[in-house]
Amino acid sequence: MGKEIERTGIPVTVMCNLIDVAKTVGSNRMVQTVSVPYPLGDPELSPEAEWQLRTSRVEAALNALATPVEEPTVFPSKF
Amino acid sequence: MKAIHYINQFFAGIGGEEMADQTPVFHDKLIGCSMMLNAMCKPDIEVTNTIVCGDNYITNHTEEALKEIFAFLDTKEFGIFFAGPAFMAGRYGVGCGIICKAVSERYHVPVITSMNEENPGVEEYKAAAYIFKGGRKATFMKQDVTPMAAFAKKIAKGEKLLPAAQEGYFPRGIRMEIPQPDGIMAADRVIDMLLKKINGEPFQTELIIPSMEKIPPAAPVKDLSKATIALVSSSGVVPVDNPDRIQSASAQKWGKYNIADRDNLPEGVYKTIHAGFDPAAMCAVPDRGIPLDAMRYFEKQGKIGKVYDWFYVTVGTGTTQAFAAKFGKEIAKELHDAGVDAVILTST
Amino acid sequence: MRLEIGAFHVKDIVFGDKTAYNAGVLTVNKEELLKVVKEDEHITTADFRIVHPGDNTILCPVKEAVEMRCKVSGGHGIFPGVLSEMEVAGSGRTHCLQDCSLIVVGEHAGGFQDGVIAMGGEYQHHTIYGDMVNLVLVADTDEDFERHEQQKKNHALRWAGMRLAEYIGQCVKDLEPENIEVYDLPSIYERSEEVNKLPRVVYVLQPQTQMEAMGYNTLIYGWDGNHILPTFMHPNELLDGCMVSGSFMPTSSKISTYEFATNPMIKKLYEQHGKTINFLGVIMSTLNVKMDEKVRCVKMAGQIATSLGAQAAVVAEEGYGNPDVDYTAMLVELERLGIKTVGLSDECTGRDGASQPLVSMNPATNALVTTGNVSQLYEFPAGMEVIGELEALARDGNSGGWEGCIRPDGSFIMENNGMFCANMISGYSRRTCADF
Repeated sequence: MGKEIERTGIPVTVMCNLIDVAKTVGSNRMVQTVSVPYPLGDPELSPEAEWQLRTSRVEAALNALATPVEEPTVFPSKF
Repeated sequence: MKAIHYINQFFAGIGGEEMADQTPVFHDKLIGCSMMLNAMCKPDIEVTNTIVCGDNYITNHTEEALKEIFAFLDTKEFGIFFAGPAFMAGRYGVGCGIICKAVSERYHVPVITSMNEENPGVEEYKAAAYIFKGGRKATFMKQDVTPMAAFAKKIAKGEKLLPAAQEGYFPRGIRMEIPQPDGIMAADRVIDMLLKKINGEPFQTELIIPSMEKIPPAAPVKDLSKATIALVSSSGVVPVDNPDRIQSASAQKWGKYNIADRDNLPEGVYKTIHAGFDPAAMCAVPDRGIPLDAMRYFEKQGKIGKVYDWFYVTVGTGTTQAFAAKFGKEIAKELHDAGVDAVILTST
Repeated sequence: MRLEIGAFHVKDIVFGDKTAYNAGVLTVNKEELLKVVKEDEHITTADFRIVHPGDNTILCPVKEAVEMRCKVSGGHGIFPGVLSEMEVAGSGRTHCLQDCSLIVVGEHAGGFQDGVIAMGGEYQHHTIYGDMVNLVLVADTDEDFERHEQQKKNHALRWAGMRLAEYIGQCVKDLEPENIEVYDLPSIYERSEEVNKLPRVVYVLQPQTQMEAMGYNTLIYGWDGNHILPTFMHPNELLDGCMVSGSFMPTSSKISTYEFATNPMIKKLYEQHGKTINFLGVIMSTLNVKMDEKVRCVKMAGQIATSLGAQAAVVAEEGYGNPDVDYTAMLVELERLGIKTVGLSDECTGRDGASQPLVSMNPATNALVTTGNVSQLYEFPAGMEVIGELEALARDGNSGGWEGCIRPDGSFIMENNGMFCANMISGYSRRTCADF
């Protein structure tokens, strides 16, 4: 899906668990998520830690949108 | 069973390039190579009609050409549709592809054609039709028509159809399970491949992994603080009543939901319908799947201009590439028309 | 390490007064066996059946299949760390009732991970069990906490199967085997010059260990595979009962306990050892849910392979879908380390065959053996006898069934996903996939 959106010139950050898969389907900006059942959270964490985790990953994804890339790139997040 | 055959202006004997704008002509008496095809198809199949159309007409005026051809076919009874062979002729190949795809979609009958591997019609239409591997030029006519007719007869007689490589058509992007042709156990096949690979001998993998299609990276957003950013997701997070009845697996549609008045996706108002994992954690906090709360936070901070008023969602599991590409195109058009600057796509 | 498998080739199984083996016929006393089953008070009802190849019979829901065996020397039990004390399996003598198996079937309740076996008809050869005589335990339990759960641990029934296999196996303990298979593989530093010249090969097994709750995953010496890091093992340990099949994952992609212990891939690597390859041993790895866990296990397995000096590897994946990521990553990592790989797994191309065959694909994986399509549709005729309860396929969330898949006349349609261990990741498969 992301590929078709990017084809129209809109930059896309794909946030997913399977970075390897995202690369195979041609994603260019990627951020690693936590797991399949809870991509942007973790029920085992405290609400504060979970919020920090989610905002950190989303922030990495936003920053990726504003960053030029030349090839498939994984953007790290702090948490 | 009855069949109808499509050929171009050249093979109908009307003329070459100068007649390529010929509009469709319908013959109740077979002409050109239709006669050879019919002779080979007997007695299981009768080719009843030849349709002739100029290559330029069908490729440049597709809509009109199909309209005229459909008007004719609607009055006919047929169980198989043939086109070509098109050999190396590029526009003829594309024309055969166009008509085969359209006939298959409208009449749900098997569509059979033939092209040389270098014909651009192969790449574009191999998923839509049985395209048999053909020769480079018309001297291969008999050789190319033969497997088309033989395959059609198998279909007419209800015989078991073999894999593409054995039948001789280009793979259509469909993989199915079969008994191992030699009955050899997998462990023995592994050993055979392993020893060949170790010894640098040629070996044939049972699953060819294609190289990926690359899309050049889109230019970055110039100023995030002025950008409208949309959330798109394959997490299956939808309003609890799943108003668009999106399927939990092998989804065939997507939905879009307005979030203009929301700061997050509350439990009980949204849930995930994704069947590929334990949904408890995402149903309890749907923002774990589509992080609207975090996006609002960055919107309030002024880091981004605006979260787009709608989010787009489908279910990723078991969804075919064809559907995923279709969803992507449809959603991309909406986002583009709405002036969205960038997208965050969350998948599972 | 040297293991002798003393083989007894069972041609038939019959009920009789005494549990005994004589000249190809295994006689079992139902009352004795019921006592063994009822040692677990959670088992509420139990009965035995015997099925033969060609019977017009379906077994459903199948929980497990085990080879009936006994330890003669070199150990105390056939499932060390599970039914008997923890000790390393793989040495001494083990007597096996071969060419037959003990199958455990739920009398009523099935689940996501349970399966169908056909003893006759078009799908007889889709499981190895359709081609052998089987003793079938059909039983129910009071495990009400999971009766309506899609994922079941099936603990009482799976353990009953193991106890039975060990109990029945005792009847050949003091008999002379019909033939003896010898599996003798010394330390990798004590091999002959000729062997040391051959290309060094490891077998990398990725058993299904993705369930984060305990009680569902493949066990290694009774230890939940979710809790291991890749480790180096002797192939004899596998051939002598260190692995117990889990109760998670669509069944066609599973490896049964029977297959773990009779693993044809290991036997074929043994066959080549000293002739064409130097079989170093087994790297037991895992399949995980989280990306960092996947990467950790793949990297550590790669390191072990490198330290062992492996030049080639066979990688087998017990599962499909998300675990394809671990599978492809393992192959890619080993290739990156200069180790030539061949992969062994099934595919999921969808009912229409149009989906991407593996969730994760990488062109570096250029030598793959494929054992079938988990979502292939199979059409069964009406009129086959059912042992167990066929309705479990439609009712209990089976991975290959769905509500309405059984028609009023008794005919039914299912996905391969629900055929018991049908993709035979252990290497028995005589099926593959082709492009159409």
